Amino acid sequence: MEIHKYEKAWLVGALVLIFFFIGTIAYVSAVVGVDMVDDSGGALDVDEVSEDERFADPRVEQVGEDEYEVYMIAQQFIFRPGTHDTVDVPENSEVTFYVTSIDVIHGFQLVGTNVNTMVIPGQVAEITVEFDEPGEHGIICNEYCGDAHADMEGLLVVHPEDEWEEMQGGDG
Amino acid sequence: MGTESREKEISHDEFDPIGTLALIAVYFLILVVMWIVMWYAEFLDGGPTVVG
Amino acid sequence: MATFVDRFPFEAKVVRVAFALSFLFLGLGGIGGMIQVLHRTGYLRFVEEITGGTYYTVLTSHGVFLVVFFTIFFLVGVFTWAITKDLDRELGNPGLTKYWITSMTVGALLTSIAILAGFTNELPALGEVSADVLFTFYSPMGAHVLFYLGLALFVTGSWVAGFDWFKTWWGWKKDNPDKRIPLMTFMVLTTMLMWYLGTLGVAVEVVFFLIPWSLGLVSEVNPLLTRTLFWFFGHMVVYFWLMPAYMMWYKIMPKLAGGRLFSDPLARVVFVLFLILSVPVGIHHQYLDPGIPEGFKFVAMTNTMFLLLPSLLTAFTVVASVEHGARQRGGKGYFGWLRALPWGRPAFSGMALAGIMFAAGGFSGMINAGMNINYLVHNSFWVPGHFHLTVGTAVALTFMAATYWLLPQLTGKPLAGVKAAAVQPYLWFIGMTFMSNAMHRGGLLGIPRRTSEPQYEQFDYEPVFGSVAELDFQIVIGGALLVASLALFFYSIILTWFGSKVSADGGEGEVIDDEIPPALSGPENAPRVLDNLKLWVGIAILLIVLAYALPFADIASDGIYEGSEYIPVMIEVLT
Repeated sequence: MEIHKYEKAWLVGALVLIFFFIGTIAYVSAVVGVDMVDDSGGALDVDEVSEDERFADPRVEQVGEDEYEVYMIAQQFIFRPGTHDTVDVPENSEVTFYVTSIDVIHGFQLVGTNVNTMVIPGQVAEITVEFDEPGEHGIICNEYCGDAHADMEGLLVVHPEDEWEEMQGGDG
Repeated sequence: MGTESREKEISHDEFDPIGTLALIAVYFLILVVMWIVMWYAEFLDGGPTVVG
Repeated sequence: MATFVDRFPFEAKVVRVAFALSFLFLGLGGIGGMIQVLHRTGYLRFVEEITGGTYYTVLTSHGVFLVVFFTIFFLVGVFTWAITKDLDRELGNPGLTKYWITSMTVGALLTSIAILAGFTNELPALGEVSADVLFTFYSPMGAHVLFYLGLALFVTGSWVAGFDWFKTWWGWKKDNPDKRIPLMTFMVLTTMLMWYLGTLGVAVEVVFFLIPWSLGLVSEVNPLLTRTLFWFFGHMVVYFWLMPAYMMWYKIMPKLAGGRLFSDPLARVVFVLFLILSVPVGIHHQYLDPGIPEGFKFVAMTNTMFLLLPSLLTAFTVVASVEHGARQRGGKGYFGWLRALPWGRPAFSGMALAGIMFAAGGFSGMINAGMNINYLVHNSFWVPGHFHLTVGTAVALTFMAATYWLLPQLTGKPLAGVKAAAVQPYLWFIGMTFMSNAMHRGGLLGIPRRTSEPQYEQFDYEPVFGSVAELDFQIVIGGALLVASLALFFYSIILTWFGSKVSADGGEGEVIDDEIPPALSGPENAPRVLDNLKLWVGIAILLIVLAYALPFADIASDGIYEGSEYIPVMIEVLT
């Protein structure tokens, strides 16, 4: 099979491009440390979500000095917590979200950021995120989930440290 | 139609697609530059990211 | 001069029927697109007067009508033309042909009825019917069984169509034992083999899960399993839309440019690569799914990146073939030859502009494929921005452009409304530039896709430059230009279809152009092994097993008929 020399050059260029792309992704995975959501959250029975200790009382829980866990239920057409009450965490914290659905497939994204996952009934999406700066992030469902899908939103607030300490003091 | 405005017949051996090579080289450069911009400016600079 | 319709009247009629159905769904889908553009941006929300959720009835129709019915009806039409013309041979079994075209038509009709019933949520005799589940129809959201049955008839019809073309080729092979498979036939056959392998996923999903579940025969299905079955099919299908466009870029566009195909052997290599790589990549649509280990996602990612290769090779071969035309027309220089191309001829300009758009869509596709960067764009407005460049332009505009060249051969009538046709591809190109650019940028801001009203109460988007209002404006302008373009297309096509025939002696300058010159480097230069379809199917199956056996086993271990009950999507109707 004869291939024109320019076309051979392009074949090499195309392969270089492909390996460059794969290399970028591997680098960002291994060195920068961006991790894919996977099966680490485990599976659970959709009908028994309310009996699961993580989701019986959806909440934000402090589990270490700067470490928090968020147990969240996505359902038509709210996030619990998130929609009726904000998800509150302090700045400079490492937050692990555990999100599951009790009805259809939903999405969970902090608007305009890379924090984004599918929420599939029977599966628990587990993602860990570092919040270095205070601010507000909108939470949206980005997977069509029924007629009021467009109303499915919430808010996550990353509080400055002094404000966070005040809030904690107020509770005690 | 289309072919009647042909000025000459160019056979396989006389044809070097140098214009194609030039175009595709430009495309290659655009891809590489845009890829780098997307990864560094949009993705890794985009606030909170999943790390675990 | 005898053209296709004179030599193969039956086949020409089959192609015309398929095209007529294809364009019907193109028109309906286009109307849906315009409604969405106006609604999402908030410029005009008349579907709200029925009910806000009715947006999703429109969205389901837009998706299914365009990416299933418009594209695949066109495909069966153009493949029938290609096989018949390429082998110079009738299909030879009219009963079989009538069966598949009927099955596909009835299927499309049933599914369309189920979707459109979403406007009222009921049908006479059937009671409650709706199917607002979008093109991706993931469980546990359930559509009425009519929706799935229609799709099953449609897809099995397409399987029989493939069998019809294979039979025609087998007959030809018997008469021509030592000849190479002609190129268009090779493209049709490899594309159909890819389709058989890939549709297995959706067939299993629909027949073994969704139909029994929507009838209440099984109470639960595993949502992750059915979703993975869907995506087993769901990425391959994009190449099923694209392959007829590629076929026309390779076979017809060079000729329209006044040149010849640069390399027949490389075209074969490209189609073989699509056959073996199109299916074991589906998990890249599930990069952000919980329940799938990262390793499987990495495998799908590398396969996807290698799938860039056939498209990148196509870019070279097709552009070189077009350049050959330009040089023969007297084109000069590194870039100056581009001016020598027939930009006023819509069949050419449409395909060329479609190709340029595909180069841009290729880039956003590379980003989508980039596993971790998928966090940035997944389910955002970026994604429809991407596929309106690919299926929405590379495929759709190529199909329209090809129609300008094919319809005269299929009807014996010269193209009418030539001025409208000459403008049409440019309007599409400009309209899509506006719309798709705004969609991509909107996605990077975090605007979601598939959301009727992406305006929220608790937060605002924060654009670095420009504003959401400016993006919305671009989308509306773009959408309006696309609708105008569509109107011009229909004007020219309808005028042609109902026009008068070219006189038998050809008349003045009215000879129908249907000649395709041979490739510069012909099939004699292609290694014989390329025509060994069994070998490529074997490799394709091997790669599928490698990519999918473990993920399926892993997901099925959570239970096959366990998980979610049927949740009908009933959108409330105002009373």
